[in-house]
Amino acid sequence: MSEKSTENLVSVSDLTIVYRSEAGDLKALDHISLGIGEKQLIAIVGESGCGKSTLALSIIGLLTRPPAIVQSGSIDYRNVNLLAIAPKKMRQYRGTEIAMIFQEPLTSLNPVFPVGEQIAEAIMIRDLRKSKSGFDPTTQSDFMQKTYKVSTPKVSRLPQVRRRKLSGEMKDEVIGYLRLVRIADPEQVLERYPFELSGGMRQRIMIAMALSQKPALLVADEPTTALDVTTQAQVLKLMRELMTEVSTSILLITHDLAVASQVADRVIVMYAGDVVEDANVYDLFANPLHPYTKGLLSCIPTGAKDETVIKPIPGNVPNLRNLPEACKFASRCPFVMEVCKHKSPKLVEVQPDHKVECFLYAQ
Amino acid sequence: MPSDIVDDRNILTTVDVKKYYPIREGFNPFGRSQRKYVRAVDGVSLSIPKGKTVAVVGESGCGKTTLARTITLMVPPTSGSIIFNGVDIAKEKIKPKVLYRDIQMVFQDPDSSLDPRIKIKDTIAEPIRSLVGGSEAEVNRYVRTSMEAVGLSEEQGSRPPKQLSGGQRQRVAIARAIAPQPKLIVLDEPTSALDASVQAQILSLLLDLQNKYNLSYMLITHNISVAQYLSDQTAVMYAGNLVEYGDTKTVIRKPRHPYTITLIQSAPIPDPLKRNLLSIEIKGEVPSAINPPSGCRFNPRCPYAEKICTEINPPLREISPGHFVACHFAEKTGT
Repeated sequence: MSEKSTENLVSVSDLTIVYRSEAGDLKALDHISLGIGEKQLIAIVGESGCGKSTLALSIIGLLTRPPAIVQSGSIDYRNVNLLAIAPKKMRQYRGTEIAMIFQEPLTSLNPVFPVGEQIAEAIMIRDLRKSKSGFDPTTQSDFMQKTYKVSTPKVSRLPQVRRRKLSGEMKDEVIGYLRLVRIADPEQVLERYPFELSGGMRQRIMIAMALSQKPALLVADEPTTALDVTTQAQVLKLMRELMTEVSTSILLITHDLAVASQVADRVIVMYAGDVVEDANVYDLFANPLHPYTKGLLSCIPTGAKDETVIKPIPGNVPNLRNLPEACKFASRCPFVMEVCKHKSPKLVEVQPDHKVECFLYAQ
Repeated sequence: MPSDIVDDRNILTTVDVKKYYPIREGFNPFGRSQRKYVRAVDGVSLSIPKGKTVAVVGESGCGKTTLARTITLMVPPTSGSIIFNGVDIAKEKIKPKVLYRDIQMVFQDPDSSLDPRIKIKDTIAEPIRSLVGGSEAEVNRYVRTSMEAVGLSEEQGSRPPKQLSGGQRQRVAIARAIAPQPKLIVLDEPTSALDASVQAQILSLLLDLQNKYNLSYMLITHNISVAQYLSDQTAVMYAGNLVEYGDTKTVIRKPRHPYTITLIQSAPIPDPLKRNLLSIEIKGEVPSAINPPSGCRFNPRCPYAEKICTEINPPLREISPGHFVACHFAEKTGT
């Protein structure tokens, strides 16, 4: 299916990625296609092993190839196929055009530098990249001088500790970004180390760093999974607000349908390397079509035990190695038909703006 | 809560249980400085009725896991009583062998709670051998019954945990807990590490087992919808204190403590037409357990806070039958 419509910021078409190992090829993504529009919040929902993180990593070009191998397809960002360009060229896009935030902010931040410096570094690299000279070491030191007041202690016997202090415009800019992500008291916070901040603050710092690059697309891989519910609510609300403030698209990877329903414009449901349903958030929740989506929805307890019955999906996700030619959900599907066991369904638009990959809907 | 609730309808009652962890400080040559403590659990009284489930909900650092560990005596409480089956197990020396026949625990992550090197049927047999005893044939019978009860096949019993999926591993952990036929099972985040479809399987399994064996559960969770589905009563903890306690339906649908209200509003519901998450205003973050704010611990974040809130930590009081709230202004918050 071709989705190279002009209005999409990113179009993934017919993408197949396998992980090669001695035990055989593991098909993480199986001929998937999807589009991300400008200034849209798209949620990709699926359980562990459905390929959602592989998709995120392939969009930002962080897949290690090999073991990952692209068997087919393309990822087009503003008419450039990100899978075809050289790794060096990819650096122009990664971080600046497409930024990413990860699940656990403590592992993404450097533990030995104050967070303000880390944001400053991101800003510095952005400015260097945008200036024509690229990574010229002389300009870099100019930048360092502009950015920091370097003071060297007078006593030379002692180990030389360079106290760098953010100064001038750079400090103001860092504070500006901290304000943008609603951090109270930014002057204080920028001198703190990551371990001194709470999980929610750390994730805000990561968002500030990502947004300082003014990306067109922000890929957020389970950004709130490690956070508490009240913090999760704050961070999700922030992301939704920033989307309009800095005009960026967000690709939110999550395992939680409820989170997706709360913030997304469009929801893409993945299962075992397939996109099984792709629809507007209101359509998807009012009228879920794929049996897997229906199953997932009926798994969420929404009331007390005497009022609601949750219907677990029986069975387990299939082994992604040596998959037979069949619908991958067939063994767990309550509506399974004969055709499901011999043929793989295709993702088809069955209603306006509502695609589903299932034989139940006239293939 | 008043301590006269100690009666035989309850399997377990805690009275003013506290658990303080001392903080080790660096060498201080100038005399003793004041000892500091992390007040993980700071005076919790609640009871678990027989055959029912009490959920303890709260965010990380609120002390809910410490409370679970204290109740099972994995860590002894600093003060307070824990009355299990009419005996104060915090004071009376009860042999672990006797106690853990009746109280068992299921942990969050089956990867770390199961021995990776032994077959799962041996994992399940272990508590039976050490707590119940009996001949090998009897042990095997116990193992088979509990494996059957959680839906594991005979063949799966001879596999190591690594060859099972996450959901099946959690079933093993549950099978091990029910094997010695306990009265109370403490479930510490039993489904947090699982995917939605597997979580649903485990939740229905827990309900089935409860009905079948008349088990009492203490459920520790941060997930409001899990608490609502599984429990009869809900206790909300904040910074080591119990702030609200009552029937689950009352606490979750008509919360009166400002913290409970915030907590419930922040739990995402799967309905794009009710975007509660994007409309709430939440101030600040969970306070440090070393220097909690004076007075009510929620006062710096509370929209209703007044002067009295910074001075007196409100005790739990019954605002309607069976519904306890620790707030000076519980009458104002009802919406």
